[in-house]
Order: sequence, then structure tokens, then C-alpha cells
Amino acid sequence: MNQFSKILLLFTIAILLVWQLPWCYAFLTTKAGPNRFVMYSSLLDDFIVTEYDKDKGSIRRDLAGNQYTTEQTDSLLPAFFMRQLVADERFPDSIMGVPVSPKEIQMTSFNFRTRPSAINTPQTGIYFLLESMPSRVDLDMPDDAFRFNRKGIEFVNMETNTVNEEKSRKFTQMLSDKGFRFPPKEVSGNPTTMKEYDNGYLLIDADGNLFHMKQTRGLPYVKALPVPVGIKPAHVFITEFRDRKMLGLLTDTNHRLYAIMADGSIALTGVPGYNPEQDEITIFGNMFDWTVRIASPENIVYYGIKASDFSLLKQYEIPSENTEIPGLSFTSPYDQYVRPRI
Amino acid sequence: MTKAIFYKEWLKLRWYFLLAFIVSNGMVAYCMLRIDRAIELKGAAHIWEVMVLKNVTFIDLLQYVPLITGIIAALVQFIPEMQRKCLKLTLHLPCSQQKMTVAMLATGVTVLFGCYLANLLIAVSYLPGVLPYELTRNILSAAAPWYLSGFAGYLFTAWICLEPTWKRRILNAAVAAITLRVYFLGVVPQSYNDFLPYLLVYTILLTTLSFISIRRFKAGRQD
Amino acid sequence: MNTILECKHLTHYYGKRKIYEDLSFEVPQGRILGLLGKNGTGKTTTINILSGYLEPREGECLIFGENIRTMPSHMRRRIGLLLEGHVQYHFMNIVQIEKFYSSFYPGQWKKEAYYELMNKLKVAPGQIIARMSNGQRSQVALGLILAQDPDLLVLDDFSLGLDPGYRRLFSDYLRDYAQAENKTVFLTSHIIQDMERLIDDCIIMDYGRILTQKPVKELLSSLYQYTCQVPEGYEPQLPDSFYHPSVIRGTLETCSFLPPAEAEEALKKHGVPYRSLSFGHVNLEDAFIGLTGKY
Repeated sequence: MNQFSKILLLFTIAILLVWQLPWCYAFLTTKAGPNRFVMYSSLLDDFIVTEYDKDKGSIRRDLAGNQYTTEQTDSLLPAFFMRQLVADERFPDSIMGVPVSPKEIQMTSFNFRTRPSAINTPQTGIYFLLESMPSRVDLDMPDDAFRFNRKGIEFVNMETNTVNEEKSRKFTQMLSDKGFRFPPKEVSGNPTTMKEYDNGYLLIDADGNLFHMKQTRGLPYVKALPVPVGIKPAHVFITEFRDRKMLGLLTDTNHRLYAIMADGSIALTGVPGYNPEQDEITIFGNMFDWTVRIASPENIVYYGIKASDFSLLKQYEIPSENTEIPGLSFTSPYDQYVRPRI
Repeated sequence: MTKAIFYKEWLKLRWYFLLAFIVSNGMVAYCMLRIDRAIELKGAAHIWEVMVLKNVTFIDLLQYVPLITGIIAALVQFIPEMQRKCLKLTLHLPCSQQKMTVAMLATGVTVLFGCYLANLLIAVSYLPGVLPYELTRNILSAAAPWYLSGFAGYLFTAWICLEPTWKRRILNAAVAAITLRVYFLGVVPQSYNDFLPYLLVYTILLTTLSFISIRRFKAGRQD
Repeated sequence: MNTILECKHLTHYYGKRKIYEDLSFEVPQGRILGLLGKNGTGKTTTINILSGYLEPREGECLIFGENIRTMPSHMRRRIGLLLEGHVQYHFMNIVQIEKFYSSFYPGQWKKEAYYELMNKLKVAPGQIIARMSNGQRSQVALGLILAQDPDLLVLDDFSLGLDPGYRRLFSDYLRDYAQAENKTVFLTSHIIQDMERLIDDCIIMDYGRILTQKPVKELLSSLYQYTCQVPEGYEPQLPDSFYHPSVIRGTLETCSFLPPAEAEEALKKHGVPYRSLSFGHVNLEDAFIGLTGKY
């Protein structure tokens, strides 16, 4: 026992050292990474990199090395800098030969961002389903919440904390009728009233099939979204962008990224690899192109994607800014769990 | 003989137990009351939403309560032993010194367990009435590492108190303080779910640290 | 006679400071042995070593023939330990502490011995030890030891903090107990007067060594104190058999185990300019000071 207690103490001290020393070193030596902003410009068919330099201020250049002024950059990224261009009365009548209005640009632009820690996190398993066709203009939070279990979906009235059997039965029935197998592997929704409209939830069921579920006038709306043969859905994200063209984004087990269109069809994008469990994704989209930034532990890759068919236009890779020192840690930027890891 | 050790430790702990029992249960009851008031004022729906979407647990007040109760329990129990080396009397009793050490620690752990169990009972007698079991589980799982830290804090403090020299006590306290951070790294409920069983085993093993101090005490270490 | 306690070749240092080297002594059964020494000569160190709370750098300490550091726990029943200052569990009252200790000594616990002593104390039934006077505490500690009825008592400075009445009470009880039951006692005290009534044997320690180990009677009958007149300004230079000579205003004082005739011869041989030599026997305190010096 005496020997054991000594070993335990030494073990503890060793753990504390490999945990705290790298942390202290990182804390003392880490400097802010370069401040870099990259956008794809369809007009230029190149990326515009805006970097902040301590001495020279912001420098805007393309990958070919040409430098641009602030105003030139605004014009090269008209969708992104739309409000500046409108304010300066410089907004063009047409872009890439397509007549556009600021309103159209506003309607079709979006940004989307998700981090690995949003996926790798403990799930509560309680969700809120909004009414997607509210009688009033504004969205309201529901007065019930729902959960999935092995047998079905269960709606719980929050004031009374009791199950709404009738509603639960209706939704379970509808989901089962559409071929849904409980419990789902993944549930993606965006239960907030701070959005233009509500599209309910995208679900991956126990068999790995994709479904769309929402509530219209208190009744279930469920649609199976058949995925092309050979695709095994891994993660799904509801988007609810203003232009309503898409339902969401989907990744498969091969880390390919798909767009789920409003009609339920699934389109492969030109992004070659995105693993939501490891990589952070940021998309700035407009009616002409998307700039997709994927930051993985190894590198950061920017993709210029054509908005009409999601084909890859151009890509730009830089090494990761991540300067992690090897050591033990209990938390990670990639997940929300506490456990020892190297 | 072990019973007599329990008796001695209980004499030291009983008033503190009453205090810790009242204060910790009072704080748990206050947290429950806070949830109840919030439901009354803002509606159950709002409370469910912030709990699900913002990971709010309403028990942030309790975070360091078990740790503090654990540390004080050890101080209450072991400072009298170290005052004028009273521990010599205990170790001189005709009973295995290891058994006596374990019995002393077991008394403290039992007292803390009693406190914490009452805390848990208060929570589970209220929460499932107003919250779905998922949210009750979230609250309890967020509190689990904090409560474990109470036992760890107790065992670490016993180790520090029983150590005969100040120099080592300070070193021990530093090791304890950094190790105890591990119990407070969670940002969302259920963060510790996978790790908790290992942390529990580690916490139980911390009992053996006191043997190091006892051995050093018996050797009359002064450095 | 059986040897109850035996210390063999003890050597101890605190850091680099040597306390003593190769110290050995024995305590036979039925004797009360007092360890006398000035502060810093290692009394507490010795008590700590033989009560098992200090690992000597070298040597070992046997009690009932067992090394104190590895002795089986049940053997500790036969050893009574009184800590310096009569320390006891101060959060207990006299009933609680009796209840506590009694369960460790089944078959040997003498409850009556404890309560006999407690009944003489004027303490309230619920009064905890922390609220008692030093004298009362010493009685509680003594009562517990008497109830334990050990074969060997180890007492660390039993007179600390006690007024003369309690000191006398304590030593009388102890003496009675040891004599009636043939118990062995090992004790230290910084008040030598009390020891004279109590102890059979004494060990007088000087820095790093034992000056003498003898029965007290033998010590007092064989030690002589010598006084004589010497010329003003005389720096005493005496043979080693005279301990700590000191001259105050022309009067030289020293002590020696040499009987008067031999002592006078030694002084003469050494050419000491003495006049009107007188000698006598002294009490234990004076013997102690004579042997160890005032400084």
C-alpha cells in the first residue's frame, strides 16, 4: 500500500507536468496569428486575400500578386460589399452580365459556419419544433418540446411536463409511414425565432436515411429524401437561408459535401473533403459563387464554388495556424468533452 | 475498535456535519427555488429553451460547495490530530495503523456522502416534476464532477494536514490545487460522462495518499 | 531481571547537526528510569525514537524484545504513552474519552482506576478537555494511562505546565502504581526536584553522550560536592575527574565521584592552591547541575 501511494503521487505529478508545462509554454509564447481574410471573386476568377500588416495596414492582393485598393476590392466582391457599394452609389446594374438589384443580392447571400465542437458535444435530446406556417407573420417558439425514443417521437407540453399523446401519435405515425426508423442518428434544426422562416428538422434515421420533418398548421409534414446510391449520410445541417433554394447541407462517410435542394434532390459540391467532426467550415455564399473555408488541424483550404452547379472553380491552401505543443490536455477546441488526450 | 475510531471522528465532525448539511441543502433548495421562481415568472417553456439551447443548469451556485464542504471536513477532522501531535495518541492505539487511517478517512467520506446524498434527494424530488428527465440528467451530470471534487478535496486535504512538515504541505497543496482543476473543466452538461468513471476510481485511490503522510509522520520527518 | 526497554547504538542527526552517536542503554523491569539532560541534549529525540515517532539514523530500540518500528500493533497495548504537556483528544469530555480508549484495551481496562481519579477533579460532566486547566488535563491523561494498565510507561516531560501540587500528585500516583504492580517507567522531566522522589535510576545526558547511568541512591551517595577557597583571580585547572569547577569570589565549587581522600590527593598532585576544603553530599538537582554545568 505504501509503495502504491508513492506511485500514485508520482503518477499524479507526472500527469500534472505533461498537462501544465506545455500549457504554460503556449500561454507565454503564443502570438496572434496573421489576420487574414480570403474571398473568392467570380469577376477576377481568383481569391482576394486581405492581410493586415502592422506597418503597412491592410493589404489586398490576389493570388497572382496584384494589389488592390479598398475601392477596387469592393467592386471585385460586389455581393459581399454590396452595402458599401450602394452607399457610395457604385453598385452596378449587372454583375457577370446578369442584371441584379441590391435586394436580390441581399436575398441570395448567406453565410454558414459550423465547428467540430458543435458536433462533438453531448446531446440533451430535447428539441423544439416551430410552426412553419404561422398564422401571424412572426415565428413563435412552441409550447411543447419533443424527444425521440426507440418507438417514436414524443411531444411534451412544457407547462405541465406531460406527454401530448395525440400529437406524439400523429407524428410517430407519419414518420413511420414515410419509412423512418427510430431513433434517429442525427437531428438538425435551428429552433429560433430570429430567422425568416422555419423549415423544421433534417433527420438521419437509424438506418442512415435522410428525412425532412416540419410542422405545418399543427400537423406533421415528413418527406423522405432519397440519397443517391452509394452515399451514406454522416452529418446533416439545416440551413434556412433567405432564398429558400436549399434545405441544408449533407456530408457522407467519405467526407464529401452535398447540398440538399428545396425539392429534396441532393447535389454533390466541388468541395473535396470536409469532415465535420474535425474541420471547421465557413461559407460565404451569393448568387454567383461560394467561398468555402475549411480549417482542418493540418491546413486551411479555401474553395471557390460556382453557385449554380456547386462545381469547384479554384482552391487555395495555406498551412494551419494551429501551433499546438504536444502535451496532455483534458479539453479540446474540437469537442466539448472533458477527458485526457494527447 | 474501528467503531471507536468512528466514534472519535464523529465527535469531531458532528457539529460540522450539521452545519454542512444545513448549508449545502439550503443552497440546493435555493437553486431549486430559483428554477421554480423562474418558471413562475417566465414560463416553463422559456426555462426549457435556455436549458436546452444555452446549456443553462441553474445550479452554478453549487459549483464549489461540495469542494469547500470536503476541504473543511478534512480540516475539522485532522487539524485536532495535528495540534500538538495528537496523532501520536491515535497511532499508538493497539490497532493496525493502516486500518485506523482508513477508518478515519471513511468517517469523513461517509459524512460527506450523507450530505451529498441529501443534496441529491432534494434535487430529484423536485426536478422531475417540472423538467423532462433529459434536463434533470443534464443538471445532475453537470454537478457530478463537482461532487466528486468534494471527496477529492477531502482526501487531498487529509493528506496535506497529516503531512508533518510545512515545506511538503505547501508542495502537496500545490499538487492538490492543480489536480482539483481537472474536476472543473466542463463547459456543458454531460461533458464528463465518459471520463467520470475513471475520475471516480482516481478519486478513490487518493485515499492512499494519506499513508504517505502517516509514514512520514512516524519517521519524524522534519524536511 | 528482564530487560523491558533496550536502545542499541542510537545515532541521530537533524540535518547535519549531530544529536548523539552510538547511544545505548537498557531499562530493566520494575524500575523507574528518569532521563535527565539539559535542553538540546536529545531527551525528546530519545523519547520520540522509543515511542516510534522518529526513525533514528542508526541503531534500534527494542521494547519487550521487539523493534518499536516493526512491532505488531497488539503489543502497543502494553505500552502507555504520555505526550509532552499531557496532550489528549481535547474535543472529548472525560466520559467520552474513557469510552473511546476502553474499547482498545478489552480485558485490561481498569475503568475504576480512571474514575477514581476523575472523581477528585472538579470538572463538569460535559466539560471538554480543551476547557480544562493544565492540572486537570494531566489527571485525565494519568487516569487513562492507569486504566490502560500498561507494563511500560513512557512519559515525556510529565511536569510541564503543572503547579507543584499537581506535580506532587502525579508523581505520587505514578510511584505507587509502579511499585505496587512491578511496572517499568521511562520518563523525562525538566524539573529535577520531582524526579528525586520518583525515579530509581537516572541517565544524565550531556551533548552527544551519556554522562552517567546509575541508580539515584548510588549516584547521590557516590557524588561529592567540594568547596574550597582559592586565591583571587585563580583560573580553575582541575583533573578531568572533577566536573565543571567554578570560582565565585574566591570560592571554588566542583563535584566529583572521587571520595574525599582521593580528591584531596588529586588536587594536591595537580598543584591546585586550595584552602579549607569541605565536602558534602547533594540532592539530585545539585548533582545534575554539578555534572552538567550551569551553562
